[in-house]
Amino acid sequence: MQIKNLSLKNKKDLQIWKEFLTEHGISNFSSAEVFKIDETIALFEDQRIVATGSLAGNVLKYIAVESEGSGSEFNSVISQLTNLAAGKGIFHLFVFTKAKYSKSFQFIGFKELAKSDNAALLESGDYLIGDYLAELPRVANQEEKKIAGIVMNANPFTKGHRYLVEKAASENDYVYVFVVSTDASLFNSKERLQLVKEGTADLKNVFVVSGGDYMVSYATFPAYFLTSDQTVIEYQTTLDALIFKNQIAPVLNIQTRFLGEEPFSKTTGIYNRILEKVLPPSVSVKIIPRAKTQSETIITATEVRQLIAKNNLVPLKQFLPFTTIKYVEEHKTELQSRIKKGININGN
Amino acid sequence: MEIKKTALAGTTESSDIQITLSKGNDGIDVDLTSDVKKQFGDQIVKVITDTLNKFQITNAKVRAVDKGALDCVIKARTITAASRALNQEDQINWEVL
Repeated sequence: MQIKNLSLKNKKDLQIWKEFLTEHGISNFSSAEVFKIDETIALFEDQRIVATGSLAGNVLKYIAVESEGSGSEFNSVISQLTNLAAGKGIFHLFVFTKAKYSKSFQFIGFKELAKSDNAALLESGDYLIGDYLAELPRVANQEEKKIAGIVMNANPFTKGHRYLVEKAASENDYVYVFVVSTDASLFNSKERLQLVKEGTADLKNVFVVSGGDYMVSYATFPAYFLTSDQTVIEYQTTLDALIFKNQIAPVLNIQTRFLGEEPFSKTTGIYNRILEKVLPPSVSVKIIPRAKTQSETIITATEVRQLIAKNNLVPLKQFLPFTTIKYVEEHKTELQSRIKKGININGN
Repeated sequence: MEIKKTALAGTTESSDIQITLSKGNDGIDVDLTSDVKKQFGDQIVKVITDTLNKFQITNAKVRAVDKGALDCVIKARTITAASRALNQEDQINWEVL
């Protein structure tokens, strides 16, 4: 048996790879997904492909083996991918898989983060969810406090986000605001985290932290960043919701998840619906209507990004707190050059 | 000795063991996955810990995925992971180990 690297840019490689995966029940070859792949390897026996796997950032994808009983082919592929990732300095790996394969990954050291009826998400490496949670701020007697959680991308932080945080802060002892950490937005993760911190600095019972790899990240919820169809969004959001419910909320004693009402984005709309279905009864869900400006316009970050693109900063005052306005004014040229380079401003 | 960076050695193929070594601050903490953990878990952890001690590593997180490795293999993989984690991969002194 021989392990080879496949180049998906090469038509012949792409074709045998697709054929093999299709035979094994994987058929989503949307260019958004395939474009994200960094490495693909395949195991050959007598010129015939018998197993394959790919690496996209820190996520293992498109894994299939010829004969399901054969642990050794599976182990070779995962070992090889783990070593390739280690060579790039990536040790914390995720895998999305069908629920029935979760055990196979657990046999080689992966830990299950969440499992639904049809899918599972697992991780392995030097920094796992327990390490992430251990680094978050805590308060004394946290188990007796009333605590809420909010997850936001805040691209960028608006008066609408501020309204949501204020609402949660006024109804709870403490609020965790988890800022999405994946970098696929006009404002990068560092900027978004900083602007949420600055915009809520006066609220003493609010902790602003990074959502790490566990909340709406490229690992847990790729469809937030890639265009995907409804079923894909549903199963990914279910896993994302299960991680929040079973791994995060109990450790931090979060009893309520606050959400902003979502009248516009299809993906976020589905996400909200799934959260309402999955989180209760252990975590209750509270949906807050969108904040409006004095002239009754709904505040959205999408609108803000479009105004930046059009170089029309005057109306921003009605949408943004002064901390975000200041940042936008000071970094206008850089933000506009990112838009010119093609970063998507219409998504999330 | 302080771990300088996370390092990995070995595979999860039959008769091998995969060792991931990263910074820790609470002694040597071994997280072992093995089909024979019940029978040989203590011995595997001992080989890893003894080997790390010879490198004077006293704080580390170790993730070990064992697929039935013999002690000599466990030792060899731990040595390689430790050398990589200490940025000493070019100067392994096998004889003292």
